[in-house]
Amino acid sequence: MSQTVAAPSAPARTRSDSETRLAGMLVSFEEPGPLMGAAARMKEAGYTRWDVHTPYPIHGLDTAMGVRPTILPWIVFVAGLTGALSGIFLQYWTNATDARNFTFLPTNLQGYDYLISGKPFYSFPANIPVIFELTVLFSALAAVFGMLALNGLPTFHRSLFRSRAFQRVTDDHFFVSVDASDPIFDESTTGGLLAELGGSDVMRVEEPVVQPGMPRWLMAAGVIFACVTLIPLVVIAKARVSKSTEPRIHIWQDMDNQPRYKGQMQNAAFADERAMRPTVVGTVARGDLDALGTDRHRLEGLVDDQWATVFPESLRVTSAFMERGRRQFGIFCAPCHGLDGRGNGAVPARNPDGGREGWAGWVQPTSLHDQSVRDRAVGHLFNSITNGIRTMPPYRDQIEPDDRWAIVAYIRALQKASQADWNEVPAAARQELERRSGKRGND
Amino acid sequence: MANAGTTDLSHENRRLEELGPALALKAQVVGGGALALAVIAGLILGFTGSAGFEAGLSQFFRSYILAIGYVSSIALGALIFVLLQHLTRAGWSVTVRRLAEVVCAAIPWLGILALPVLIPVWLGMEDVYPWTDIDAWDDQTGLLVQKAGYLNPTFFTIRMVLYFAIWSWLARYFYVRSVEQDNTGAELLTTEMQRLSAPGTLLFAITATFFAFDLLMSLTPHWFSTIFGVYFFAGGMVGFFSVLTLMMVYVQRNGRLASAINTEHYHDVGKFLFAFVVFWAYIAFSQYMLIWYANIPEETYWYQARQSTGWWIFVSLLLLFGHFVIPFLALISRFPKRHPKLLVFGALWMLVAHFVDLYYIVAPDANGWLQTGGAGPLHSGLLHLVTDIPAVIGIAGIYLSFVVKFAANHSLVPLRDPRLNEALAFHNF
Repeated sequence: MSQTVAAPSAPARTRSDSETRLAGMLVSFEEPGPLMGAAARMKEAGYTRWDVHTPYPIHGLDTAMGVRPTILPWIVFVAGLTGALSGIFLQYWTNATDARNFTFLPTNLQGYDYLISGKPFYSFPANIPVIFELTVLFSALAAVFGMLALNGLPTFHRSLFRSRAFQRVTDDHFFVSVDASDPIFDESTTGGLLAELGGSDVMRVEEPVVQPGMPRWLMAAGVIFACVTLIPLVVIAKARVSKSTEPRIHIWQDMDNQPRYKGQMQNAAFADERAMRPTVVGTVARGDLDALGTDRHRLEGLVDDQWATVFPESLRVTSAFMERGRRQFGIFCAPCHGLDGRGNGAVPARNPDGGREGWAGWVQPTSLHDQSVRDRAVGHLFNSITNGIRTMPPYRDQIEPDDRWAIVAYIRALQKASQADWNEVPAAARQELERRSGKRGND
Repeated sequence: MANAGTTDLSHENRRLEELGPALALKAQVVGGGALALAVIAGLILGFTGSAGFEAGLSQFFRSYILAIGYVSSIALGALIFVLLQHLTRAGWSVTVRRLAEVVCAAIPWLGILALPVLIPVWLGMEDVYPWTDIDAWDDQTGLLVQKAGYLNPTFFTIRMVLYFAIWSWLARYFYVRSVEQDNTGAELLTTEMQRLSAPGTLLFAITATFFAFDLLMSLTPHWFSTIFGVYFFAGGMVGFFSVLTLMMVYVQRNGRLASAINTEHYHDVGKFLFAFVVFWAYIAFSQYMLIWYANIPEETYWYQARQSTGWWIFVSLLLLFGHFVIPFLALISRFPKRHPKLLVFGALWMLVAHFVDLYYIVAPDANGWLQTGGAGPLHSGLLHLVTDIPAVIGIAGIYLSFVVKFAANHSLVPLRDPRLNEALAFHNF
C-alpha cells in the first residue's frame, strides 16, 4: 500500500543537499464519495494542519471539514466604511474648512473654502458620488487583497507539489493531506488513520532538509531593477526644484507643434517678412463695418448728438422683427425684468435676499412700464441696453445691434399692450381673449 | 456530485387546491371593500372640502393612478424577472419561476382595472393631468402647448392600450408555454421562450419607460426626467422581489413546495431584493443630483414642491432612510437572506417603502406649487393618504384574486423544465 515519493532528482551538489525529511502524508481517492466521511474523521481526530484537495468545488465539504466562515465580509465592510468616511473627510477638508485656521500646516495641506457659483461651501449631495466611489474602491481593494492575505498568497511553493501522484488533483483524483508540522502528527498513527479513510494509496511526501534558496543572480537582478526604477523619480524630483533655460521634455506631442505661422512670426515669402498680413488699403473685413462706428444712429442711438426718436432707416419694424425682439427679450431681459417687463423675473423672485444671509439682496429691476421708461426715446433705450444702466450690465458684447433695436421695438409693444384700449384689439384676438377670460371665470 | 438532483418532487404538494378559492374570495372581498372605501372617501372629501367637488374627485383619481402604478410596477417586475431568467438561461430560479409567471399572467386584468385612468383624461380634469386642459393653466413657458402633440387624450389612450396589449401578449406567451411544458415536457418550449426573451426584454424596456412617463411623470407635465422610467422600474423590482418572498413563504407555510424551495432560493431572492434596494437608491440619487446640481427652475420645482412643507420633508427623509439606509444595512449580511422569517419582515417593510415612493411621486401638488409658488387647490399630505391607502389595497386585492386564479389549476413549480434539477441542487457558495 505505502510508497515513498522522493524529491525530484536534482543533481546532488553536496551530500547534505540530498538528505530528505518527511514533509507530510497524502492519501488519494478515485471517487469523491468517501470524502465527506474522511473529512469528518480527520476533524474528529483533532488535526489542524490538514486539507482536502479536489479537482472541482464540492458543496458541503467545508462544513464537513469544520472550516469556519471567512471573516472577509467584515474586512470589506470596515474597508467600505473607511472609504466612505475618507470621502467625507477629504471633501470637507478641501472645500469647507477655513484655511486661515490651519496656518500651522504646510500650504498644500490646508483646506480651501472656495466659493463656487454661490453654492454652500459644504453640500452633501455633491459629495455623494465621491463618497460612493471611494467606498467601492476601498471595498474592492480590501476584498482582493484580503482574500489573498487570508489564503496566505502568494505562496510560491508547497512541499506537496513534490509528489508526482498529487499532480492528478487538477484532473481526476481526490486527496486528503496532513502536514508534518501538525502538533499531533505521527508517522505511524497518522498513516494508519489515512489508510482507514477509504482511499487507495497512502503516500509519504519528502522534502530536502536544506531548501534551495533564491539564486544569487536573481537576487542581484532584483536589486538592480529596484534601483533603476528609482531613476525617473529622482529625475522628476530634481526637475521640480531646479530651473532650466531649455523647454521641458515634451513626451506627448499631440498636435502642439505644427508647421504653420502664428502671430508675430517671420515669413520670408513677403517683402516685409511679416507673417501677419495687414489689411488691404481701402477694405473692411467681414463683420468689422460696425467697428468703424460710422452709423451713429444704428450703433449708438444718436442723431445729431440727441437720442434718436425713430428707428434707424436700415431697419423695418415688421412682425418678424417684433418676433425677433420677443425671442431676444425672453433670452436676455426676461430673467430679471420678467416676461411682461414688470421687473418680476425669475432671478429677483428667487433671490429676495440674494440667496444668502447678510447680503443686501438684488436690487429690484426697473419696471419697463414706468412712466420714466415710457418717456424715453428709442435711442435712449437702445443706449441703456448697449451700455447698461445703474446695476444692469452692458449687453454690447452679447447682443447684435439690430437685435438690440428689435428688443427696443418689443419693449415699446409691451408698453403699448399694458395700457391699450379694448377697442384697439383686433377682432380676431378679441374673440380668443373673451373665450379665455370666460373660461377662467367659470373655474 | 453526491447530492445533485436527488430531491424527488413526486410526493411534493405542488398545487394550491383548496387554498385557491378561499384566498381569491378573501382578496376580492378585501380589495373590493377597500376600493369602495376609496370612492366614498373621495366623495366625502369632495362634498366637505373647501376646494369643491371636483377637487375630491381629482384626489380619488390621483389615488387610483397611484394604485395602478403600484400594482403594475410589481406585475412588470414579475414579467421582466421571467424574461431575464430565460434570457440568461438561469438554473437556480426554476423552482420559483412559476410564481412570477402567475403574477404577470394576470396583466390583461390589470389592463381592465386601469381603464378608469382614462376618465380624468377624457373629462379634462386638469388637477389630475394638467395637459388635458391646457387653457386652465397660466402656462408661461408654453411647454404644454409644445407637448400637446404627445400628451393628448387620444394618443394617451392609444399608448395605454398598446402597453397593456404588449405586456399581456408577453406574459401570456411565457405562461402558456411554461404550463404546457408541465404536460408535454417538450424542450422545444424552453427554446421558444428563450428565443423571445431578448426582443421581449427590449420591448419591455421601451414600454415600461414610456408607461412610467405617461402614467406618473405626466402628472407634472412641465417637469421631465429621462431617468424616470428606470426609477419606476427599480422601485417595481423591489416591490416584486418582496412579493415573491411573501409568496414563497405563503405556499411553504401551507405545505406546498416544501422541498422544492429551500434556503438557497431564499438567499438568492434576498440578494436580488438587496441589489434592487441599492439600485433604486442609485437611480433615485442620480435623478436628484443632476437636477440639484444644474439648478434649472423648470426641473427643480418638482423637488422644491416636495421640500417646501414639513410633511413632505418628512416623507423625503422617510424615503431616504426607509427605502435605502435601513434596508441596506439590514439586508447587507448573508444572515437575514437565509432566514425566511427575517426576509419576510424585510419584504413587508419594502412593500410599505415602495408605497411611500409612489405616494411621494403622485400625491404632492407640484403643479399648484408651480402656479402659485405655494400650496395648490389639492389636498397633498396626510389627507391624500385617506384615498391612497384604500385604493392601493383595493387594486392589489382584486389583482391578487386574478393571480390566484391563474395559479390555482397548475403546479406551482415548472415540473418538467429541463433545468429543474439544476435548481433543486443549487447551492450558494
